[in-house]
Amino acid sequence: MTGPRSLQGRLLALVLATVSVVWLAASAFSWWEARHELDELLDGHLAQAASLLVVQRGRGSHEDDDDDERVDAPMLHRYGPKVAFQVWHEGRLTQRSSNAPTEPMAQTQRGFETVTMNGEPWRVFATRGAKRDIHVYVGEQIDSRASILQGMLRGLLAPLLVALPLMALLLWWAVRRGLLPLHRIGQTIAQREPQALQPIAADAAGENMPSELAPLVGALNGLFERIATMLDSERRFTADAAHELRTPIAAIRAQAQVAQGAGGDEAGRQHALAATLAACDRATRLVEQLLTLARLESSADGPGDAVDLSHVARDVLAELAPAALARGQAIELEADAAVPMRGSATLLSVLVRNLADNALRYSPDGARVIVSVGRREGRPVLTVDDSGGGLSDAQQQRLGERFFRVLGNAAPGSGLGWSIVRRIAAVHRAEVTTGRSAALGGLSVRVAFAA
Amino acid sequence: MRILLAEDDPLLGDGLRAGLRQLGFVVDWVRDGVAAERELNDGGHEAAVLDLGLPMKDGMDVLAAVRARGVRIPVLVLTARDAVPDRIRGLDSGADDYVVKPVDLHELAARLRALVRRSHGQPDEQLSVQDVVLDAAKRQVTLEGEPVTLSAREFDVLHALMLADGRVLSREQLEQRIYGWGQEVESNAIEVHIHHLRRKLKAELIQTVRGVGYALAKAQP
Repeated sequence: MTGPRSLQGRLLALVLATVSVVWLAASAFSWWEARHELDELLDGHLAQAASLLVVQRGRGSHEDDDDDERVDAPMLHRYGPKVAFQVWHEGRLTQRSSNAPTEPMAQTQRGFETVTMNGEPWRVFATRGAKRDIHVYVGEQIDSRASILQGMLRGLLAPLLVALPLMALLLWWAVRRGLLPLHRIGQTIAQREPQALQPIAADAAGENMPSELAPLVGALNGLFERIATMLDSERRFTADAAHELRTPIAAIRAQAQVAQGAGGDEAGRQHALAATLAACDRATRLVEQLLTLARLESSADGPGDAVDLSHVARDVLAELAPAALARGQAIELEADAAVPMRGSATLLSVLVRNLADNALRYSPDGARVIVSVGRREGRPVLTVDDSGGGLSDAQQQRLGERFFRVLGNAAPGSGLGWSIVRRIAAVHRAEVTTGRSAALGGLSVRVAFAA
Repeated sequence: MRILLAEDDPLLGDGLRAGLRQLGFVVDWVRDGVAAERELNDGGHEAAVLDLGLPMKDGMDVLAAVRARGVRIPVLVLTARDAVPDRIRGLDSGADDYVVKPVDLHELAARLRALVRRSHGQPDEQLSVQDVVLDAAKRQVTLEGEPVTLSAREFDVLHALMLADGRVLSREQLEQRIYGWGQEVESNAIEVHIHHLRRKLKAELIQTVRGVGYALAKAQP
């Protein structure tokens, strides 16, 4: 439905339409009722006039009987032409009004009939005297009744025509005044700075918040709050990310300058150059993780391909194994033949890589890491156990906070891996729990996917 | 000049240590906040480079703690936190300089020299006693306008004595200023350096206070 676009115009149109309809309905009812009453009254008059003529004729002298008394009754009123009568005596027209025809005005002998005379509709009442064979017809032009009704209808409708524009004007003012709180809120919001996210004040609409607006303002304030929280976390993330990138860049710069200033110290130069490359790798890894996280943050819906978790884990571990073996670490996979589930193979391998990589990275040389994949109580489950130092309860709680790193840890890391793990788990509706590994004594991480 | 470097990032710490060594500093490197606080309280260094995001104890807390104990060592905060409120908070909680990563090694060295100079009440980059002039930035010493070749240790001993500005420094204090951790100090090393300095410059420049230490003779006898 397309109506007026402004609430004010809409209200105005609706109220005016309602008033008009009610007024018209009232007029129609009045007209119908009045017509009924008018018919009764005027029919009564016709009958009365007819009976008067009958009585008068009955009392008349017999001498006159044979006279052709076609007396034209004088017109005494301007409505006179609209009324006519005939008196018939023994088949002869003895008396009539000047506008009456010479034929009987109606077919009926008694009662009311509507006939057409001279092309006009007439209401005719016919009656007869009992003894002297007298027929009396009294007629009235229906047209006169209609003009009375029209006059009445004019009286009913004319004020409406005058009142409607006046009422429209008053209503316009009243509706405008009634909608003032809405207008005020609109202005308050329109005048805000684009970055302003503080809640709308309770008195923004005037002294009291109208009950109709309270839910809207409440919802808006809730929205503002959520946006503010989101922006805040984005801002913090950007700051943290910049902070994290500055350190490897500073390292690259410092090591490069050392190489430049090494002079004759060839071993020192080589060391500095190797460190420069290592710092570049660190920065690259950090940027990759940040990008992964950013992509994950913007992808909301869960992926739904058929994936074999065992296969994913096997591929990832094959990739990680050489580096682990170089540090004398044992990495093992305990997997059921196939663990089918729904998910994204890419994301799942990022998840497995992050968990296994963390276990290897933060465990000492010669440590043991067991990754197991299987179905427990119908749910695909991935666990990563290591023989490293494990984490305290407080540290386990903070895992997944961006850039949180376990203090006193010498291994390089960005503190982003866990954020990524948590996010991928959330996308797959999986639960991540950490604890002490029963088998190896270090940290145990368990990811239980939805069945 | 012996300085303390507190930085948890292995690659950056290694780079800064190597770079500052190239520029003539003696650098001791700690990797966490607790060790940094301990070393600052110990007072063996002329200045400190402090990262704020340290494990175990945040750099800002370390700074506040050592300042509360009255430790006056010049501290240069080296951090990735570049927001103005961070800088203000850093300087207000006792940092003498605030540098945002990444930093040029030469600039870092110059800032450290300036901090040390100021902490000794010396406004000039060049220090001079009698007709001996020491330029810390160029690591150059001249006698009556002629350059004199000194070993790194000899330079450091002379620099320490010049910064002391006539006050007596004990053998232990001199050792502490010119040797970093893990460097073997022979028992008579300082005496040897002093001997060489007297020979290369002027015999009467450095005076021995028996049983106490050494001091520079400010005016010619």
